[in-house]
Amino acid sequence: MENLKATTIKSPKEVKHIKVKHSTQKKIWGVIFLLPWIIGFITLFAFPFVQSVIYSFFDITPIQGGVDLSFVGFENYHYAFFEHTFSTESSFQVELLNTIGDALINLPVLLIFSLFIAVLLNKEFRGRAVIRAIFFIPVILNSTAVSTVMSGAGSVMGDIFLEENTMMIFDLSKYLTNIGIGEELVTLVVGLVDRVYTILTLSGVPILLFLAAIQSVPKHLYEAATIEGATAYEMFWLITLPNVSPHLITVSIYAIVDTFLTSSAATVISYEYNQLNWGLSLAMAWSYVVVIMMLLMVLFIFVKALKLGEHAYEN
Amino acid sequence: MKTSTFTNYFNKSKDFVSEKYEAFNTQSRKVKRQKKLKTFSSLSFTYFFLIGLCFVILFPTIQQLLQAFRAPQDLNDPSVIWIPKTWSTLNVTISIKVIDYWKALFNTFRLASMSMILQLFSTSLAGYAFARLKFKGSNILFMFVVFTIVVPPQALSLTRFLYFRQLNLLETRWSIYLMNGLGMGIRSGIFIFIFRQFFAGLPKELEESAQIDGAGVLRTFFQVMLPNARGALVTVALFSFVWAWNDSYFVGLFNLNASGEFPLLTMQLLNVAENTQSVYARLSYSGVLADIGQDIWKNPLFLSTISNVSALLIMSPLLLGYLFVQKGFVESIERTGIVG
Repeated sequence: MENLKATTIKSPKEVKHIKVKHSTQKKIWGVIFLLPWIIGFITLFAFPFVQSVIYSFFDITPIQGGVDLSFVGFENYHYAFFEHTFSTESSFQVELLNTIGDALINLPVLLIFSLFIAVLLNKEFRGRAVIRAIFFIPVILNSTAVSTVMSGAGSVMGDIFLEENTMMIFDLSKYLTNIGIGEELVTLVVGLVDRVYTILTLSGVPILLFLAAIQSVPKHLYEAATIEGATAYEMFWLITLPNVSPHLITVSIYAIVDTFLTSSAATVISYEYNQLNWGLSLAMAWSYVVVIMMLLMVLFIFVKALKLGEHAYEN
Repeated sequence: MKTSTFTNYFNKSKDFVSEKYEAFNTQSRKVKRQKKLKTFSSLSFTYFFLIGLCFVILFPTIQQLLQAFRAPQDLNDPSVIWIPKTWSTLNVTISIKVIDYWKALFNTFRLASMSMILQLFSTSLAGYAFARLKFKGSNILFMFVVFTIVVPPQALSLTRFLYFRQLNLLETRWSIYLMNGLGMGIRSGIFIFIFRQFFAGLPKELEESAQIDGAGVLRTFFQVMLPNARGALVTVALFSFVWAWNDSYFVGLFNLNASGEFPLLTMQLLNVAENTQSVYARLSYSGVLADIGQDIWKNPLFLSTISNVSALLIMSPLLLGYLFVQKGFVESIERTGIVG
């Protein structure tokens, strides 16, 4: 590599000349490459966004061909946090706190679990294609249209399954209580098993992201390590993990946002939206965005402090 | 005398060598056996673990599949739980009619693939610019990308709807294409993020050597960087396609099927699940209801089965397609080998 460079580069002066020109060229191209996104951001995102934030301070009622606005100040926000109730025992405040808790618990479990599965799926074994396809099913099922139908919540099918208990593989809580385990332990175990299923459905996308990340690790690193006699365990910690760590951030962001999108807090927001309480639902949505932003901020600070996920080639 | 000591010595050394050879042989065999055992145990662990999880994932789907092939007259039979008594594809044929499957499939495919191409284009350009073509303020712009990821689409529903109505972009596919082409489509932010991370992970030497060979930025991007980020390309293309396929939010917001000329799979499915009257209207129009008899179609389970089968019909092309695409994941390894 070094030799090759020495022969292609003729004189240091010339190289410097090219480089300066190239770096300004790069900046110009950077702006050009970003142009579609910038235009989209300003016209399709910023406008509706500003409008929507303003609307959250208004009481909105639909009228023929538009909306009627009356300014109420922070009333919507105050109502969302202190007065709102949802289906008798729950409220937006409670659901939001629950969702934050869920996100904090799910995130580390999800990261470790999906990385582990991705490593396993990356191995060579018979029937790998089929198993990978099966792990792809949660990604497809993650559609609102399909899941509203499939989950059968409220539908006749769902009721019948619940009655017959055939929907569950076996009734774990009943089984555990029958063999004489304390009630608290039963709820703990059942909760854990339920969480496995949640994690499994959330992990479809992270697994694929990690899989792509693992496969973009240069192969020669593994070859050299094998020749030096490294074990698979060492190779994972010293090659795979450092190379995959930049993608940990991507997966974390995805996981946090996804947990929130599928959370009960989001359900409350869309419920209020469908009830035509638009101002209230917007106020809820923006407080929810602020919460996620704060979570992500903590994550970024954490990552920066640990110097995690920096590419060897960056800067 | 001399020769005897020599032969003695020779024999001794021969014994020594063969002994050592034997020892080495047994040891190497032992190592080999150990290695074999190790790979066997790790492989069986892999199978055990993965197949267990696959079962958990597949369980509801298998149930749905068996339900799909159960004959409609057996729906209320309590003795049938898993395996259908009479196999029949009647549910499938009815569902195909109810959701106008082939037309909706074609439309959805067209919309999803077009969205995918546009989204790939806009997000890969932006991702590369954020990773390598940095200019003043590009880091701040990147913060905005993260912001677009975080804001739930529901928060912008109302204003986006009003805004697009002002622009006269409702009830047309172009609104979706515009969103995707300008990097504001479904989860475009996360795609930009993925591309940025992947491009940042490629060796700088790659760009430098292209630059020395006289390639401009544009050419470096399309001929050197993009082919090397194949893993990211395949991943983003896959997600983009699947999410466009499954999307019911934007399609509903912009009301693409206002004229009834552009049925899409997800909208048809939601229609089946929510609007019972239209299903019966369609079925009686095509004469299916008369064929299967009143006591079956009056059964609430029948409609529920139809919507489940429709959901399966929507999922199945994606699964089949994935079986082919997942080879792309494998190929990307061999390509990255060139980098080193």
